[in-house]
Amino acid sequence: MNGANFVVHALKEQNVTQVFGYPGGAIMPLYDALFDGGVDHLLCRHEQGAAMAAIGYARSTGKVGVCIATSGPGATNLITGLADALLDSIPIVAITGQVPTHLIGTDAFQEVDVLGLSLACTKHSFMVETAEQLGPIIEQAFEIATSGRPGPVLIDIPKDIQVGPSVAYALAQLADTQKPLDQNLISHSKLLISEAKKPLLYVGGGVGMAKAVSELRTFIEQTQIPSVCTLKAIGCIQHDSTYFMGMVGMHGSKASNLAIQECDLLIAVGARFDDRVTGKLDEFAQHAKVIHLDVDAAEIDKLRQVTISMTDDLKQVLPAITVQPSIEQWQQHISEMKVTHANRYDHPGEPIFAPALLRQLAETMPADTVICSDVGQHQMWVAQHMFVDRPENHISSSGLGTMGFGVPAAVGAQVARPNDTVIAVSGDGSFMMNIQELGTIKRKQLPVKILLIDNQRLGMVRQWQELFFNGRFSETILTDNPDFVTLASAFDIPGETIVVKSQIEQALQRLLNSDGPYLLHVSISEEENVWPLVPPGAANDQMMESVG
Amino acid sequence: MNNTLTIEAKHSPEFLERLLRVCRHRGFSIVSINATIEQQLTHIELTVSSDREITLLTKQLDKVIGILTVTLLASSGNIKASA
Repeated sequence: MNGANFVVHALKEQNVTQVFGYPGGAIMPLYDALFDGGVDHLLCRHEQGAAMAAIGYARSTGKVGVCIATSGPGATNLITGLADALLDSIPIVAITGQVPTHLIGTDAFQEVDVLGLSLACTKHSFMVETAEQLGPIIEQAFEIATSGRPGPVLIDIPKDIQVGPSVAYALAQLADTQKPLDQNLISHSKLLISEAKKPLLYVGGGVGMAKAVSELRTFIEQTQIPSVCTLKAIGCIQHDSTYFMGMVGMHGSKASNLAIQECDLLIAVGARFDDRVTGKLDEFAQHAKVIHLDVDAAEIDKLRQVTISMTDDLKQVLPAITVQPSIEQWQQHISEMKVTHANRYDHPGEPIFAPALLRQLAETMPADTVICSDVGQHQMWVAQHMFVDRPENHISSSGLGTMGFGVPAAVGAQVARPNDTVIAVSGDGSFMMNIQELGTIKRKQLPVKILLIDNQRLGMVRQWQELFFNGRFSETILTDNPDFVTLASAFDIPGETIVVKSQIEQALQRLLNSDGPYLLHVSISEEENVWPLVPPGAANDQMMESVG
Repeated sequence: MNNTLTIEAKHSPEFLERLLRVCRHRGFSIVSINATIEQQLTHIELTVSSDREITLLTKQLDKVIGILTVTLLASSGNIKASA
């Protein structure tokens, strides 16, 4: 067994059944091993697409996503995907080929210092220097990717290690190192919760990563504490939970942002006080004590000094701090705010109103549909107006905000969950960033549905130019877009364009009922903006809701 | 404000790069550094300067795979000894 065969063997030992990648010179031995090695490989049409497909696979299943690329440009093309996985704490193992050991440092063909490149965009990275290291490194990579706060890990393997003899390695039995809860902190937390008059749960993506959705829902059910969530936590709380107000932050719901500013106890669960959530940090939940529950100790007191913190497993902590406060007035106030500030879908004229379209799609789509959003205005409309009830069903580039994410992520999700409907919601700017992945959809005949919301603009940037740059629309006008339906048809993907409200219902049926992939291209006005908006530098209760 | 740290880590060829990148990225400039490698362990004595709280750096260093201990040589004493 050579090193490359050993890698495939080790992947199988880690229960990997599916990988995404793109071959090239320095990784050819591994591709030879994959040819009949028993692990399915999906050829993406760009390494960035492979990384994002691996992310979609990981996020839709909770498993580790694996992507593979060659040295040099193959590895550099992975970098954006790795950064995306780092910011969203997604368990990814990336394997790159490297030039043979004796050529490293000679500026050989397709040589780049991948280990050096990886330092800022991975949780950890390895360069394999000897055959003996291969087994332990692969095992450690999977352990690091999944343990604590998950993240991407890169393994760079020189070609001579791939073709040389392997060294047998038995998987180590890793001990469970979970420590007992600190009962003083638990008691103190319960006291704060029981004494609070206006407690609020601020739920982040860490809940889904910790697989603690069930514990969170039980906590909410038993305490009836009102809640808000971050972009990445959408799906953790059932959308119709009585006191759940939706997303908080820059484009959060008005009720969420007002509740945050009014609360007297903020319970942050798997959240990190990101600037898109807090707005002006000094004024964020200004009157609140804070209980911060997060597995990453580096997040504690990083941006907000907290009253109590615990870095234990959320599955343990949430049941332990469950106590029902007496907060009827606060609950009544939250209920009233939810009604007063509910989303409105009345919209004049025939042109399509994207929020209403997305709401209609959410009401029509099958249960357990996976939504993979791209980045921009449509991403915020998805977050505001669609509803999903599992975090695995809302896949959105939250931390890095990577345009081009939606379609390849949908490819990965569809491969992972072939029996579920997968919808990529994209914009005309984002769609063009990884348009080559239509080739992957065609190659595998993946039934990915694409909802393309087209305002012939880089809409979110245009919105900011309108609001904050005196309407100087610098390089955001895309009236020269290609004909997207024709473009899709070149990849054997049928589709249609709709422009008025009366076309929506039947078009959504055709999208959802198509056996294979389908493109629904929706033309909307460039004047539509995302509201509400907390402007830069403002506190969360200073939301803009429209402009005259 | 200057703070002096001692760091013990498993030796790896790129360890110093990892350390220096975290310091720079988190807003700490290097005032002085001394590194020795002994029996596959890297020992670092590091003085950094920043307006930021030193715990912002030490918590990030604690997360670096391969770092075994980070100790602040100041009145606040030992911050963490992780395995």
